[in-house]
Order: sequence, then structure tokens, then C-alpha cells
Amino acid sequence: MSRMNLSMPIGAERQQAKGIVFDVQAYSVHDGPGCRTLFFLSGCPLKCTWCANPEGWKVRQRLMYAEQKCKYEAFNCERCIERCPRNAIHINNQNKVVINRDICSGCNTYECAEACRDEAIRVSGKEFTLDDFIHIVSRDRQFWSGNGGVTFTGGEPMVQKDFLLAALKYCKEAYIHTAIETCGCVPSETFRTIIPYIDFMFMDLKNMDNEKHIEETGMSNKQVLDNITIAAGPEFKGRLIIRKPVIPGFNHNMKDMIKTADFMASLNLKEINLLPFHRMGDSKWTQLGVVYPFTELESMDPTELIPYISVFEERGIHCYIGSNTPF
Amino acid sequence: MSLKLEDILKEKGVPISFQYGGTAPDEIVGREVKKDPHPRVKKLKNLFLQTLSSASCEFPYWYTRKFQETEGDLVIMRRAEALKSAFLHITPTIYPGELLVGGKTYHYRGSFPMPWMSESYYMAKEDELFQAALKSGSASAGEVSTFGTGGGNVTQSVGKVTSIAGKFGMRAEEVPALVKLAREWVGKSVDDLGHKYEQMVPEYQMKEQIMRSVICMFDSGYTLPQGREVINYYYPLQYGFDSLIEMCNECKDAVAGRAHGDGITGMDRLYFYEAAKTILEGVSGWIENYAKEAARLQQVAKTEVERKEYGDLVDILYHIAHKQPRTFREALQLTTFIHLAVINEDAISGMSPGRVGQILWPWFEQDMEAGRITEDEVVELLECHRVKFSLIDCFACAGVVGGVLAGNTFNNLALGGVTRDGKSAANRLEMLILEAGIRCDSTQPTLSVLYDDKLPEEFLLKAIECDKMGAGYPAWMNNRGGIEFMMKNYAKEGMDLTNARAFSIGGCLETSPGIWKELVLNDRKYWIPGGAGQPTSVGVHFIANPKVLELVLTNGFDHRTGEQVYPPHNKKLDTYEELWETFQEYYAMTCDCLTTTNNIQHDIWRKHNMAIFNSLLKPDCLDKGQHIGNMGYRFNATYNIESCGTINMVNSLAAMKKLVYDDKKYTFDEMKEALLNNFGFKTAAEVGSFSLGTQEKKDGIDKYDDIHSDCLRAPKYGNDDPYADEILRAYEEWFCEMCGDYESLYAKPLYPCQISVSTHGAQGAVTLASPDGRLAGTTYADGSMSAYPGTDRNGPYALFESATCWDHSQSQNSQMNMKIHPNAVIGVEGSKKLLDLTRAYMRKGGYHIQYNIVDSKMLIDAQKSPENYRELLVRVAGFTQYWCEIGKPIQDEVIARTEYEGV
Repeated sequence: MSRMNLSMPIGAERQQAKGIVFDVQAYSVHDGPGCRTLFFLSGCPLKCTWCANPEGWKVRQRLMYAEQKCKYEAFNCERCIERCPRNAIHINNQNKVVINRDICSGCNTYECAEACRDEAIRVSGKEFTLDDFIHIVSRDRQFWSGNGGVTFTGGEPMVQKDFLLAALKYCKEAYIHTAIETCGCVPSETFRTIIPYIDFMFMDLKNMDNEKHIEETGMSNKQVLDNITIAAGPEFKGRLIIRKPVIPGFNHNMKDMIKTADFMASLNLKEINLLPFHRMGDSKWTQLGVVYPFTELESMDPTELIPYISVFEERGIHCYIGSNTPF
Repeated sequence: MSLKLEDILKEKGVPISFQYGGTAPDEIVGREVKKDPHPRVKKLKNLFLQTLSSASCEFPYWYTRKFQETEGDLVIMRRAEALKSAFLHITPTIYPGELLVGGKTYHYRGSFPMPWMSESYYMAKEDELFQAALKSGSASAGEVSTFGTGGGNVTQSVGKVTSIAGKFGMRAEEVPALVKLAREWVGKSVDDLGHKYEQMVPEYQMKEQIMRSVICMFDSGYTLPQGREVINYYYPLQYGFDSLIEMCNECKDAVAGRAHGDGITGMDRLYFYEAAKTILEGVSGWIENYAKEAARLQQVAKTEVERKEYGDLVDILYHIAHKQPRTFREALQLTTFIHLAVINEDAISGMSPGRVGQILWPWFEQDMEAGRITEDEVVELLECHRVKFSLIDCFACAGVVGGVLAGNTFNNLALGGVTRDGKSAANRLEMLILEAGIRCDSTQPTLSVLYDDKLPEEFLLKAIECDKMGAGYPAWMNNRGGIEFMMKNYAKEGMDLTNARAFSIGGCLETSPGIWKELVLNDRKYWIPGGAGQPTSVGVHFIANPKVLELVLTNGFDHRTGEQVYPPHNKKLDTYEELWETFQEYYAMTCDCLTTTNNIQHDIWRKHNMAIFNSLLKPDCLDKGQHIGNMGYRFNATYNIESCGTINMVNSLAAMKKLVYDDKKYTFDEMKEALLNNFGFKTAAEVGSFSLGTQEKKDGIDKYDDIHSDCLRAPKYGNDDPYADEILRAYEEWFCEMCGDYESLYAKPLYPCQISVSTHGAQGAVTLASPDGRLAGTTYADGSMSAYPGTDRNGPYALFESATCWDHSQSQNSQMNMKIHPNAVIGVEGSKKLLDLTRAYMRKGGYHIQYNIVDSKMLIDAQKSPENYRELLVRVAGFTQYWCEIGKPIQDEVIARTEYEGV
């Protein structure tokens, strides 16, 4: 405990900010300068069909069910069914355990997960106080060395703006480098409140075509473009890199790349990072009881993105593929 | 098909993903850094890879013959004459293309038995003496130790080659000669004599039971009585053999017949100088024999290039057989001969060359200034040096060489650290040593960086580049921590800050004392570091901590051997405190009986088999006129107590505390029953695998499922969980202190040594299931600070936080192994971040960290198709070894280690 007392800003009132965090990863080496600790904040305005972390869409804990871990078939284990006070779990006519998500979404007691010995049902996401955050950060900062720090990702970290702001303010008082991965789809007012505390920002620009954008993410790109414009201006003092996950059938085409490059050039933005499509979100979708939209599609070979590099370089923009971003 | 634990756990969502921080790609990812040695060295290295370990009787024959001829003389003189005769009779052999010559025997790769140490292993299997040897506790470790069956190991007899000591091939016609030689030493070897007297120790019976249960891995006094120390090349480098012989004569004149106030050993000095002179003549003559062989080859050489090369060798070898070396190449060649001479004098593993880049700096600097050599030529020589050292084999019984060393010989070369006056000691030659280590990846010498914040960034990044080549070296040791340990342990013998800075690593990571000596070359003065202490890993060899805990739970009874090892404590173990105290009591009994019996073995060794050549090399034997046995070395408080399986013990205590004492979820008896029934699983030996994940359940037994699940989910070390870490801290503070309660034969307190080498395989094999959920017979966590595979679920920073909850400088060492996927450290950014990780652990006070940068899938593939991976090197626990030359229990453990992907 003495360690945490040491790390509290002197004279600071203990803040009550709380958030939902669905993962913490230490020694992250691809998400900002140096070695970092990643905080995955729950909640996202978008519903991207390729999302790798769909459990982070809502600002709440999520129930995940991994069928292959379940012991119902092996020895008729029905502990979850017996314990659920809302009768949300039943066996369907194909002899499978089925969770009624409509009933579940109102639950915050999770008797079923507690009952499951095999972690087939588990709760993703954990309530985090600012103290919890400080505890981890003050431990990990001993190990980052040099220019490492904290990266906030998600979900969309700006959705939990109060918790994020409290955490960022702590970081700044404690001389900690901050990075964020944002989809940019938040009210400009929120965006403006957050960015003064950010040293390094990855901002997604998924598609220049608004209709396409709405189709695959559920939201218009107007807010995104507005916020990129703000970030390109004098209000943001840190380093900004635009990020684009390249998805076949969505933005894997020259037209979108040219439009993106032109837009960036108009704002005098200098760096973009293209991420090849991968299937990492696959099993998580299933565990949430949702169908993964890309059941047929293979992960992309990063070399497919090489032709796009010149589009950006011709406009004086550095283009990095995959995890090759220099920090 | 029975259910495997890995699948069961997968279902439970508990551990055993063995990956942290993301998912590795499906295809096997190779290592990023890969270079080739010079063409000449490539040939020599290939020859090494194709050569099997071979044993010969030449050395033991001439040794034994001379020893018998001198019957009646003083033992030290008989030994000196015997060694001299043996050296002079080694058939000098030079292999085509060698720039550096010399070998332990005429075989390219191999060694020879020393029946004067211990002879029973070489008896014919049907011989009654051999059978008698099997019955003693010391043979037990051999039974549970396994070698890798590939590479250079000869584990089975083929055609006219007989496999001996589990590793070496010997010509069938030489075997009767070996048996005859061995018979000559019956009742006279260090083993036999030591055994005779150790039986007089009242605790002897308990010691035998402890050895049979493999709570202790092996006896120290007659197996590898020296080694795990740092050699000192200074005297021959400074004076040359002729001057040293002259000095011995002068010293004899000065001390002959004069006690000089020392009524007990004052007179011994005359005999030591005479013995030193004798052996110096032997070694000098041995080098000269190589010069003669080079001259013969020059005569028969077919090309002008070969004639020139052999001509150069003749010149070099004649010169260094007598005088101070003139060039870098001569100095390197001389140190190589000195090294081989020391390890031919006694059964030794872990004779470390020390800080070679700083020792040979004077010659490198002057050669470079004079334009006598290029950096490329230096790298080529250093590559040859690597091949030469990798050819060294150590001859001891199977239990020691296989079960402990995994066939490795631990010649550790240290880099970095600080100079005598506290500045960075890294130099250009050390950059070239790293380069040679990258180009010519091989087991020896293994490299260690003495990490200090003062070391320059480009040097540290070069060392990281070498790590990324994937062979597991350099390991990283904490220079400040080492200096603190030097001051703590050796202050009473005069250690000061200046000489503490001369420390280096003996063996895999035994922090060893050294001092600076002033070297003069062409009127220029330099300070060079070198070893000045006794072997730093002798004494109590590897106590299986989880096994001691097991016997606490079973009231001192070993269910594997069916023996009552410890006197029954007959306690109810109602509280955690009582459990912990009983563990301490059994542990103390173990240390006590092993110390007293080992002291007797070592005493016989020092009286009958004392080091003469190694002694004269090390300060201050030549000054004092006393060999190692008479405490001629500057530092003698070097005996230690080695532990193994610390983390499984910590996790087991945590599980007991949580489930039995705090939460009272299970009774003591329920826990004990589950352990005795291996949680309803088959034994590891039945399954043929030694890692936890692949163990198989017995059909139809599920009554232990709940308790096993709870044991696996109990708090584990490595997660920054104070519940488990507090147990580790309490253990360390107790252990580091209690070692000092025991006294070595040199009347010095013992200290803790916390490395596992390969004993976590063999000692895991004899241990029942443990309360941490580990199953019977499976390998322990390696080292002392590595998490048990798959249980560190919160990333490396949480692991580091747990590991540094105690002060590492209280111990000779600690050991942290980490396996990292090549993708996590790719590119320049990856290099910098790996350095960040290393630096962070060092700054936090971690003593040692080393990396396996390898894709686990490659290791699994290599286990299936070893023929495709002859050259695959991996880091085990303080050393690098060819994958195919290590035993399956350790292979399984390396595969299972948590792999950091670094998202």
C-alpha cells in the first residue's frame, strides 16, 4: 500500500472517477513510443463489422459464453441454468445451451458466471477506480524505460470521458507520456476537452465515402472528419498518425486511398498507418452470441497494401504498413 | 483417448495458453538475426556438429602409471608428476584449417574419465562394484536423469563403440583398459575414501536417504569438485612459462626449511612450489608438442598457403610455450591452452574464462595500433575460439552431466561491467566478441553482460542484437547487485570496492570474486581482471524445495522410494505457521547432513586431488606458496547451498495457506489425499511427457476435479499478487540468512545460490503432485524467479514486480528466464524495447534475466523432427545448449514456458 500512497499527487483529493476496463496489457510494443501499458476502455459509438474487440462496444460488463468450454454435453452440467434468477438460460431443441441476451442485458449480478466452474461463461470488463488505474500505472512505469507510457484504447476511450479525463490528468501530473487510439467519432466538445492531455494520437479514418462509412460502421464520417480537422490544427500539440484498417470490399481500393491522401494533404497531415485486415475478433463475436460477418474471408497479406504507399508519398505523407510505424 | 490437462484447462479458461499479450501467427516465425561465420570456421563448426563425444584412455593411463611409479612420495608431488606425465603424453592433434589449436584429448570433441575421482561408474555393468555403486544414494540422480538422444551424444553403444557415462562413445577395445584402470583406484579414489569417512558422520544415514529420494541432486566432493569459478590467465600472460618456472625455483629457495611463523602449513610451501614447477614444465612441454606437430605438418603440407599457416603456428606455439605472448593471436592461443590444462587437471564444469575482452585488450590495442591485425581477422579468431570451447566436454557420471548440466560445460565469458576506477569497462574488443557470438552461434563460451547504467547504448544494443539471434546469450547480470554481493560475502576476507568491481560470472551464473592485476606489455601498463576465489558452486548441490514440502505433508515419508527420509514430525499441521516452521526444520536437517558429509568429501579431495595448476594461476597461491586446499586463494568463503523449484514451493505454500488454512475450503487430509492420488491423473512417466499441459487423466476418476481446479486457481507468484509474493519474500529472507548457519570445511559460512541448471527436470520427476496443481513427475519451473509456465497471466511487469519483492543482492544469484516470440522484438524498435525491458528489470534490482527468442511452434516441430534442427540452440537455465542434446523433461519445460508476444 505504501507504493500507492507514494504515487498519489501531493495534496490531490482522491477522485471518485470510475470506469469499465475490459483488458489491460503490459509490455505493449506496437501502440506508441517505447514500452507501454494498454488500457482497453469499454464503449464505442461505432459497430464496425471487422471489429476485433466487440466485447468493448458497450459501457458495461459483457457476458461471454465459450461453447467449447461448456460441460453440458460432457456431463450434463446445468449449474448456470439452476443459478440464474431470471431464467435467461435454457437448453434449446438442438441440445445446446442458449443465453437469452434480451433478458441478460438487464443483469449485473452474473450468478451464472460465478456458478460456472469451467469459465465457459465469464464476464468481460471490470469496474476500475482511478486508484486501480494508478496502482497499475505506478507499478508498470518502473519498467517502461525511456519514452514509454500509457495507451488508452478500446472500444472508444473517449466514450467514458470522465474516467478518461481523470486518468489523463493523473498521467500529466505524474509526468507520464499518454497515447490514445480513437475512432474520432465523438462530439467535438468532448474531443477538445481530451486532446490537451494527449501526447500521441492514432486517429482512425475508415472511409472517405460517407455512405460506405454508415453502412459498415453504423455512423456517419462527418464527425470523424471534423475532429481530424481539429486535431490537425493548433489545439493539438502532440503527434498525430491517421490509421486505416484496410478491409476488403470496404476500403481496399485506390479511390478511397486517393481521397484520404488528398484530405490529409489539405490539412498538412504527414503520417498514415495502414492495417491489413485480420481475423482476431472472430471467436469473440461468437462468444457474445453474435454472428461474425467475415466468416469466409482470410486474413490479408500485408504486401497487398504496398501499392498504396506511393499514393501517400506523392503527397508528402509517410505511409506505414502494419506494425512498422516508427515511434 | 484420455483427456489431456491442456484441454481440460482450456475448457476451464485457466492457464496454459502459455502466451501472453496476443496471438502468434500460425506459421513458424524464424529468428531475425542470422549471420554466417568465416568459411574456415564454418568448416570447423560443421565438423564439430558431425562429431560425437568421444572418450579416450590416454590421459588416465599415463596419470595412473606415473602415480603408481611415485608411490611413497608426497601426494602433491605424485599428483604433479602424474599430471606432467599425462600432459606430455597427450597425442597432439591439429585439425585442418585450425587457427587456434589444442584439445582435451586427441579427439576433436570429447574428454576422458578420471577414475582417481570416482571409479565405480566405469566398472562393467555386471561387475559387483558397479552393482554396489547403484545401491548408494548418490546413484539415484543418475536413474532419473536423461540426456537428449541426438547431436553429439552417444547414449547407446553402436558397433565397436561403447557408450559410457550416458554420453560418450569409447572404442570397444579401450573399455577393458578403462575397467583395469578403474580397478587400480578402488578404495583410493576421492569417492571411495570420502565415502569411507563420511559414513562416520552421525547424520550419514539420513544423508543417504536424502540422496536416494533425490531431495539433493548430487554429491559435490568427487563429482565436479572445481568449476563454476573464474579462471585467471594473468601469470602466464604476464610472465610466460619459463619465467614462472624460474620464479618457482626462487620461491623454493626462499621458503625451504623455513616455517615463517606458520607451524602447520609453513613447510608445505616448498612442496607446493616444487609441484607448481613440475606441472608448469608439463604444460609448457605439452604446448611444445603441438609446435612439433605443426612443424611435422608443415613438412608434409601440399600447398604454399598451408605451409605458411603451419609455419606461423610453429612460431606462435614455440614462443608461447616459453614466453609472454607478443600478439593478440598468441595471447588468445595461450589462454586457450591454459584453459584446457585447467580442465584436464580435474573434473570441472563451469570453468569460466571471465572478462576476456578486457584481459586481452592490451594485445588487441597494440596490434591494432601497429596495424598487425584487422578487426575481421580478430573476429575470425574469436569464431575459432567459440568452436574450440564448444568442443570441450565434461566427463562425470550420467546423473551429473545429464541431469544437472544437460551436457553443457558453462564456460562463461563476461562483458561490460565497470573498470577498476568505476568507469564503463566495455571496449571495442567486446563488440567483436559479440559479433563473433552472432556469426558463430554455438554453446561455448556462453556470454553474459554485467549490466551497469554506465555502459554505452551502442554496446547494449549490440548485445541485444546478439540476443535476437536466438541462441540465448548474452544473459544479463546486474553489475551493481554483483558488487553488493561481493562486499557482503567477502568483506571479511579483505574484499574492497575496487576489487569487487573485478567480479565475473563463473559457470552459468555464479557470481565469483576476482581482483585486478597490473599487466605490463611493451612498457605499457594495464589493469586486467581475473578470478581469485575458490569454486563458487560447491557444497550442497540442489535441494528440491517442493520435495521437502512434500515430505512435510507426508510426515517425512517418501512415497516414491518407500523410505522414511526424515524423522516423523508427528505434528497436526493445524496452522500455516506450523507448516512453514516444519518445512524450515526439515530443510535445516537437510542442509546440516549434506554440509557435513560434503565437507568430508571435499577434505579428501583437497588432500588427495588438490588443484596445482589452477592454484598457481590464481591469486594469491604463488605469493603465499599454498594451494587451494591450504587456502592459498584470496577468497575462500565460496561454498553454497543450492535450491531448486522455489516457485513451485512458493505457489504450493500459497495454495495450502489459501485453501486449507485461510478459507478452510479443504481439510489438510483432503489435500494430502488429492496429492497422493495425483489429482486423478496418470504419472508423467506413463504419459511420456513432462510438461503440465499434456498430462492425461485416469478414466473415471473425477473426485479430485474440484480441488485440482481450486489449486490451479489459487494465488500464484508472478502476478503482483501480495498473497503469493509475501510467501516468496518471507522464504528468501529466511533462506538467505539460514545458509550462513552452516560452515564449510574452510570454516567459512555458506551462502545461497538460486539457479536450477537442469535439475528442475530430474527433481520434478521424483516429486509427487504439489498443492499448486502441478502433477506428479512433471518438471518444476526453471531457475528461481521464472514463473511456473502459464501462471503469469498479467504480463512481464507484474512478473518483475513479484520477482523483486526481495533483495537479490543477499543471494549469489537469482534466475529469470523469459521466452519471447521473434515478432515481439522485430526491427530496430524491437531491439530498443527489449533493451528497455532488460534495463527495467535490472534497475528494479533483478539480478539476472535471459531470453529465448524463439517461436514455440519451432520447438515443437524440432521435438518431432530433430533431424531438421541439428543446429537449433536454446537457452535452458543459465546456459545455451543444442536442442537435440537436452533431455525430454527439459525440452518439454522450455516449450511450455509462457511466450510473450508483445501485442
